[in-house]
Amino acid sequence: MHRKAIFAGGLLTISVTACGSAEQPEVVEQIVVREPGSPQVVASEASATVAGAVDLVAAGEDAFQSCTGCHSVNPDGRSASGPNLYGVMGREAGSLDGYSYSDAFAASEIVWDEASLDGFLADPTGYIPGSEMMAGAVPDGEARKAIIAYLSAQTDNAPGQ
Amino acid sequence: MNDLSPDKKERSKLAKWSRRGFIGAGVLAGGGLLIGIGVRPGNPVSALSPKVAGAGENLVNSWVKIGADNIVTAIVPHCEMGQGAHSVLAQMLADELDADWDKVRVQQAPTDGSYVVTDTARMFVAPFTMNAADWIEPTWNGLFTQIARMADAMITGGSSSIRTTGQHSMRIAGAAARGMLVGAAAQSWDVPADEITTENSTLIHKASGKSAPYAEFASAAAHQPMDQTPRLKTPDQYRLMGKSKARTDIPAKINGTAEFGIDSVPEGLDLSYAALVRPPVPGTKVVSMNAEQAKTMSGVLQILNMDNFVAVLADSYWQAQQAINTVQIEWSRSESPILTMDDQYAAFAAALDEAGEAGGDEAAKKGDAQGAFASAAKTIEAEYRVPFLAHAPMEPINCTAHVKDGKCDIWASTQVPLMARSGVAETLGLSADDVMVHHPYLGGGFGRRLGADEMSMAARVAAATGYPVKMIWSREEDTQKALYRCADLARMRAGLDESGKLVAFDHAFTQRHDPAEACVPAMYDIANTSVRVAPAELHLPFQAWRSVDHSQQGFFIESFIDEAAHEAGADPLEYRMEMLKGSAHHVAVLKKLAEISDWNGETAAGHAKGVAMVESFGTIVGEVIEVDMTSGKPRLVNAWAVCDAGYVMNPDGFKNQIEGGIVFGLTAAMYGELELEDGAIKQSNFHDYKMLRMDETPNIEVALINSGDVPVGGAGEPGLPPAAPAFTNAIFAATGKRLRTLPVAKQFA
Repeated sequence: MHRKAIFAGGLLTISVTACGSAEQPEVVEQIVVREPGSPQVVASEASATVAGAVDLVAAGEDAFQSCTGCHSVNPDGRSASGPNLYGVMGREAGSLDGYSYSDAFAASEIVWDEASLDGFLADPTGYIPGSEMMAGAVPDGEARKAIIAYLSAQTDNAPGQ
Repeated sequence: MNDLSPDKKERSKLAKWSRRGFIGAGVLAGGGLLIGIGVRPGNPVSALSPKVAGAGENLVNSWVKIGADNIVTAIVPHCEMGQGAHSVLAQMLADELDADWDKVRVQQAPTDGSYVVTDTARMFVAPFTMNAADWIEPTWNGLFTQIARMADAMITGGSSSIRTTGQHSMRIAGAAARGMLVGAAAQSWDVPADEITTENSTLIHKASGKSAPYAEFASAAAHQPMDQTPRLKTPDQYRLMGKSKARTDIPAKINGTAEFGIDSVPEGLDLSYAALVRPPVPGTKVVSMNAEQAKTMSGVLQILNMDNFVAVLADSYWQAQQAINTVQIEWSRSESPILTMDDQYAAFAAALDEAGEAGGDEAAKKGDAQGAFASAAKTIEAEYRVPFLAHAPMEPINCTAHVKDGKCDIWASTQVPLMARSGVAETLGLSADDVMVHHPYLGGGFGRRLGADEMSMAARVAAATGYPVKMIWSREEDTQKALYRCADLARMRAGLDESGKLVAFDHAFTQRHDPAEACVPAMYDIANTSVRVAPAELHLPFQAWRSVDHSQQGFFIESFIDEAAHEAGADPLEYRMEMLKGSAHHVAVLKKLAEISDWNGETAAGHAKGVAMVESFGTIVGEVIEVDMTSGKPRLVNAWAVCDAGYVMNPDGFKNQIEGGIVFGLTAAMYGELELEDGAIKQSNFHDYKMLRMDETPNIEVALINSGDVPVGGAGEPGLPPAAPAFTNAIFAATGKRLRTLPVAKQFA
């Protein structure tokens, strides 16, 4: 990296870090999947399943995509803006290690089950006033049901997993 | 101390480079540089016109154009990042030009060497030339224009736009343009120029009854001689300056038409979108990546291992980000021994231990501090620490790049467009002339957008793929892998005489960037002062953060002065007042502050007030903050600020910036902290890097003192430094608990 700066009379230094041509990093690997505008060549297995899905869990996975900006369900995934939801069913609200919950959440004494998740997802800040989940309410009851089914399956002790 | 970090070594080299630049430009400048302030060699209207003027518009000089519809457009070289400088710079130009404010527009100057901010560079390099005599002014101006061009100095920072470019370029450009219009009209009407008056963009010759809109003579004016040092208005003649004119950028920002960097959708280009992942630990790079899953995902076009980052290109940003989240990357290992904040503070402590009671680099010295400690009646000492902080601007970091036929176009919100141009040119091996940087509004800067790395990264992806690419940094990428306000540790000692008066002051710390004087309590009359720097390694890369060194030094110094006042058994505001005997300006600020905050009045049970004062970027700001501790946790109730910036050009805009600085400072004081885990930043987004919410923000009252005729101080940064110490001093007043570490909230969890 090459640094360029204006040193300004001891008052203000503004430096710009730019990749210098002499030490210019090369492109190490370039995987071209397709050209812009061309149709998707490789159909994803996951999307094929979702497309033909009739069962709730698959529909839930589809609906849950709007939650993935903040929540991971990967067993080893880090919590992002929202806590990791792997194994959320049966968990006490505000109890996941390493995630900093709102005081309101931690004090709620809710244990997540279908009924509480349904109530919370319908109106997060109404159900737990002080919750920091400002976005992500799921007003559609069917979608909530599907998401809850999907979340119930994201655990290491779910039947059939 | 010879133990300089690589960064420090680099800086001292650069200092020499600048100095050579200074001398070199002097030679270069010899001869043909008879130019005025704010206007360019030879009034290069014909060269600039195609770049900034449209049909029916005439460029009078580099900074102002007048349309056939009599619209006056100020062409401003600074960026607009919410601070309001665009509008106030236009206000200053329009006032000197006697323009009709309702018909004044603002245009962002293009990224072109003709629009370097000469006077900003000049104030920082050689402030002693700022108020030169008329005869020498053109020479200085020419010289600094050359220097600024060499240094790519098209910069917005240092709370400088109004007091440098505004005061020394825009006003002069406005006054010169007015003179040229008057000259053209005088010639055409065949009347003496001094009989022509101007108002509301109209030329008037009373005796003959003739009048004409500026538009009529705009073209002829460009051929008139240009006064290099026109007479400027005095405050009693101001019509727009000193008034709270509404900002010109507000309507577009309210109705949603304002275009920020991230909104850029260049016409005729079909954009692809890139998401990226940089190494979690500074200085490391990609060893290998597994992108098997990403290859199968919807919308994905390409996956690139760029050596120092990985990028995924897709039809939309969302698809790119989803796909990159699945790429498994192995990173090289860092050799840094610093893995946690404990390690970082230990590195600071080791440097300070080595420096001892008198070692390190001398930053300031007055009298004999060590001797004075020996004879002091009482000595107190304390250790303070501050964490790393992120800039966290609302608009995510982003850059749109297109490389085609040996040319590159960049669209980005940046505080340094010319440096970005040079950085991209160097990265791609192009000449700077083949790179164009388009820079719309910035959705917040705070120093984060003083870097050009992002533009070079996007340009590399655009070059590698051949597609026009918009690259967007996720919030997590920006929080964890950017450049930061430094953490630091300070050791302070104060010696008091029998009466409690501060007679010796010693201050040692490890991080010194800018401004150089931030670490020196110069406003206080302390007979023996020693300020020392013991440089220590910084694990995360540094970048100027709103108010730069003042952000931590204000906290260190103003907290410790409060400790001395307590030790002396004195009222903390009175104690400061006693030490300010030499400066009427500072005393006036404190007096006004005591008055508006009702300092000596009763406070509610559980409430208390704290005070702090810092002079930064030319402006003296005193603040009082009232906290409520009744719940056991601090609640911010009120903040009062009194500011003396010499002269305020737009009071509403100025107050706005002070309020912003207070909220930014209190946010950092209450919550701001980045922690390290295995050398990587733990915090990732606004849920764990919190901002003050509306219900946590105090009521704020700002009072202004115009102690002079011209703006000598800035507005963007000076409101920040006193906020943290006034807050923690208030907590001490309420509870007796002295907070020597930030942030505050976790100490009351």
